[in-house]
Amino acid sequence: MPESKGRMGYFCSLVPTEIIIAAGFKPVWVKGKAEMTATADARLYPNMCPYIKSLFADAVEDGEAEFDGLVFTRSCDGARRLYDAWKAYIPSKFHYMLEAPKNADDLAVTYYASQLRDFADRIGKASGSEITGPDLKKAIKEANKARGKMRDLYSRQKVSPLLVAGSELFSLGLELLHGDGDDAADSTSALQKKAAGSDVSAKGRKKIRIMICGNVMSRPDIFQMIEDTGAEVPVADLCTGLRSFERIVDEKGSDPFMSLAQAYLGAPRCSRTAAPAETYNRISDNVMRYAVNGVILTALKFCDQQLYDIPYLLKRLNEDGTPVLFVENDYVFTDRDRIKTRIEAFVEMLAS
Amino acid sequence: MLKKYYTEMKSGLETAYQQKPRASIQMTIQLASIFLEAYRADKNVIWTSFYSFPMELLAAFDVAPFDFEIAANLLPTFNADVAVEIMNKAEEVGYSTDICSYHRLAVGCDMLDYMPRADLLLSSSYFCDGKSKTNKILADRYGREAISLDIPNKISRESVDYVADQLRRIVGKIEEVTGQKFNLERLRECIHVSNRARRAYGQLADLQKVSPYPYIGVPVINMSIFGNMLAGREIQEQIYLDMVEESRKKIMEGKPAPEKYRVLWLAWFPVQPTVINQIFRKNGVTIVMGELARNYWGQMDESLPFESLALWSLRNPYVGAIEQRLKGINEIIDEYNLDGVVHFSTDACRHSCAAQKLIGDVMKERDIPYLVLDGDMSDKRKYSPERTEMLLENFIGIMAGRK
Ligand code: SF4
Ligand code: SF4
Repeated sequence: MPESKGRMGYFCSLVPTEIIIAAGFKPVWVKGKAEMTATADARLYPNMCPYIKSLFADAVEDGEAEFDGLVFTRSCDGARRLYDAWKAYIPSKFHYMLEAPKNADDLAVTYYASQLRDFADRIGKASGSEITGPDLKKAIKEANKARGKMRDLYSRQKVSPLLVAGSELFSLGLELLHGDGDDAADSTSALQKKAAGSDVSAKGRKKIRIMICGNVMSRPDIFQMIEDTGAEVPVADLCTGLRSFERIVDEKGSDPFMSLAQAYLGAPRCSRTAAPAETYNRISDNVMRYAVNGVILTALKFCDQQLYDIPYLLKRLNEDGTPVLFVENDYVFTDRDRIKTRIEAFVEMLAS
Repeated sequence: MLKKYYTEMKSGLETAYQQKPRASIQMTIQLASIFLEAYRADKNVIWTSFYSFPMELLAAFDVAPFDFEIAANLLPTFNADVAVEIMNKAEEVGYSTDICSYHRLAVGCDMLDYMPRADLLLSSSYFCDGKSKTNKILADRYGREAISLDIPNKISRESVDYVADQLRRIVGKIEEVTGQKFNLERLRECIHVSNRARRAYGQLADLQKVSPYPYIGVPVINMSIFGNMLAGREIQEQIYLDMVEESRKKIMEGKPAPEKYRVLWLAWFPVQPTVINQIFRKNGVTIVMGELARNYWGQMDESLPFESLALWSLRNPYVGAIEQRLKGINEIIDEYNLDGVVHFSTDACRHSCAAQKLIGDVMKERDIPYLVLDGDMSDKRKYSPERTEMLLENFIGIMAGRK
């Protein structure tokens, strides 16, 4: 595998970081700005999801110097337009729009594999060295191993009280996604050691346990708000939570691109690809698996993918008697006090 | 309630057509008839999207296609207050007002059981994310399958094959649901019929280049958007040819056209009643073209029906990167001798709205007056006649200053 060529940013968890690694770049999930500014409103549109606006604002205000290239995806309407605006207003060394299908059947997998080949070809050219089969296989192994460690930690979150606080585990996952590689790998191993030998059965549940479900989140605010009430968060079904680490790519497949396409389009899927019924089924499985008492559904404001699902999920969870709270957020939690009050009331209701 | 509206609408239009046979009236009669057919118990009903699904495929079967978005969203043209009441139903169960009114209204109508039953639900991944989302949500209610035709962002050998294979699979699904056998020759024939209609539409689009053009333009834009529901049916060509004849006649007779300014309309035209037409009439503004009404699709190869339908989908200006949309807009500007461009902005229509600044930059470069007209397709609460009037009057003032 070639020497590191720098940092390659990506926005959506459908991007196979293995290809970026095989090209010699460090994959970095781009967080965007920590505070909201109005920068994106004029060039994009005020009613775009705040994650997209924060990415754009960050790049306009601080430049793209941090990255050696960026990978976009056809994740949603907003992401398509983000790509357009980025090309028009932000000079960059390498831009690539990865054609991630919106379906996940065999036709979509075959098509995605063809697009991944194209991506590998293009990013290989950008890095100055062609991606070879062994490079890609090695990267697949490496990424599987890193995700495996996180999965292992999540699987140990069935005990109560938790050995690893939900906020801590979530932050560790973010570090991994954000490419803070070595430190995160050390922390994962340390946490794995800490968690090793714990009783993984759900018996002895002592605290109120809450699962967080939604899309993208880059800070642990909600986790901390829950933990401040004395409750715990064993699992976070988020793009930046458990979902990102649940993929296992077949290391022995004869065509690594097909293996990647299968793993990335396969379950667990986010609300972009999954039908609401599929999302509901996964949530209710996790409710059982992690023995949670209640679910907090979150959505970024203006995220159609998520907002359309919410009434359906609320209805189904209410029907099966799972306590649920819906919390919309603006990515940077400007209205943290209001959210905190609602979470406190929810936990109080669960406790009673 | 919807069924009652469409029954009354159809009979009213039939009377009007007898007195004054006009192509635009015939088109609306066809729309009402198609919707009413979906309420028949003996029909297999396939929910779909008239303007983004290749309708020739459905014309090759004996099924009743039903567009839940259009069917629900003609309601505000009859009664915008009732439409708001229905949207409220969806909002009460959690549909955010940040979601497009087109879908809040459709979901509300469905909750009130105004829609016909669905046997299969087909949609496409463009124009917006909300379309296939709503399709999936409604399919769950009917216990039926929802299929979203996934249209990639770019045209390539792989993307054409991918879409064509999805269409083949959809054919299999329709066979399964309806018990009808697919006939490839019938599909070829539908494409042949559609090609003839598209040629006729091309004549109409060419006539719109004539100045002054005798129509304000909205019926012509509707022709293309609603017209696609008839793709693959003989009547589509006839309606377009009638419209061509009417236009020619008006032009030949030198009927006084109020045209002082020619504008291009981007994105959608609101379905709820607005002051737009009234202001345009008063000031002699003609919408000569809409970006989706441009003849961008070309002829389809009947010998490769699935690939041709795939290409039709992939060529839509709203598919792909902004360059595809900008290319179309620039071509219209070059061909239609325009004085200005109006971009109608329904705030929840993110893919369209987020391109406003980019399009505005290009218009600035070309020195073409450009107006972003905010409002809402169907939701009266998000529309202000005063603001619309103020924005349009200012814009017309700018165009006047350049004459
Ligand atoms: S949060 Fe939603 S709208 Fe925002 S980028 Fe993700 S899918 Fe798109
Ligand atoms: S106006 Fe836009 S968001 Fe609304 S239904 Fe149409 S394409 Fe979708």
